[in-house]
Amino acid sequence: MTATPPRDESALIEASQAGDPRALDELVRRNQDRVYSFAMRMCRNVEDAKDILQETFLGVVRSIRDFRAESRFSTWLYRIASNACLKKRRRGVFDPEPEQEISLDALMPRPDAEGRKPEIPDWSEDAERALLRGELVQQMEAAIDKLPREYKIVIILRDVEGFSAEETADLLKLSVPAVKSRLHRARVFVRKELSRYFEAEQRLGSPGGEPA
Amino acid sequence: MTCRELFERLSEYLDGELSPDICQEISRHMEGCAPCVNFARTLQKTADLCRRLPTQTLPPDLAASLHTLLTTNRREPK
Repeated sequence: MTATPPRDESALIEASQAGDPRALDELVRRNQDRVYSFAMRMCRNVEDAKDILQETFLGVVRSIRDFRAESRFSTWLYRIASNACLKKRRRGVFDPEPEQEISLDALMPRPDAEGRKPEIPDWSEDAERALLRGELVQQMEAAIDKLPREYKIVIILRDVEGFSAEETADLLKLSVPAVKSRLHRARVFVRKELSRYFEAEQRLGSPGGEPA
Repeated sequence: MTCRELFERLSEYLDGELSPDICQEISRHMEGCAPCVNFARTLQKTADLCRRLPTQTLPPDLAASLHTLLTTNRREPK
């Protein structure tokens, strides 16, 4: 008869550090979907995601004794996973090249030739409806996937995974202003992709609409 | 504040990271600028949608191979 592993995360970590294999198994099990999702979003390739997942949890198993409770376990875990993602050679030929800059100038809506302010449709309500219809997740994932890696990892950590700017900076070894700058550019880029999608939907839905 | 200045600081504004003075300037600008209001709404929605993306479940075969790998690697000599 074996005892049930402790339920509280900090108790699980302590037990894992003391060498309890079942506590360590449980710690892995509780985090494996999150890390897999993160890895799949980063590389869009099951084989690479599998490598990243394995490298991350091998890192956890080997270094759990070095984890110090002053940082959150998830920050420590994602630091290992982020490093694994960033050093992974990308296999997909359509992956954006690293070190690409996203220019805010290129993404900023411009006045027209006569100096009139640009028309910016508010599609936020349409987005809720598209989400309910199950149509939006694929569009979102595709938009995020078009980002260069350095921007993609920031928007995933900040907006998808919910880490703070400070935590993201800490785990990527960037400054907080660099994280904020990349996040803003990534959001503006993804927003533009979604705008294109909703504009196309609008044209399909209303035959009298403006041509592309 | 110009549309351009607002555009550059919009994520910080939406994330509540700006000083009250700058927030007030942004609010004042938006009162008279529908494009900036709509841009802000859709940028906020973009961030919200990211937060609501689903977590994928690790396929059972990958979960099994992960656990086999970890079991092999965590054994330490007594």
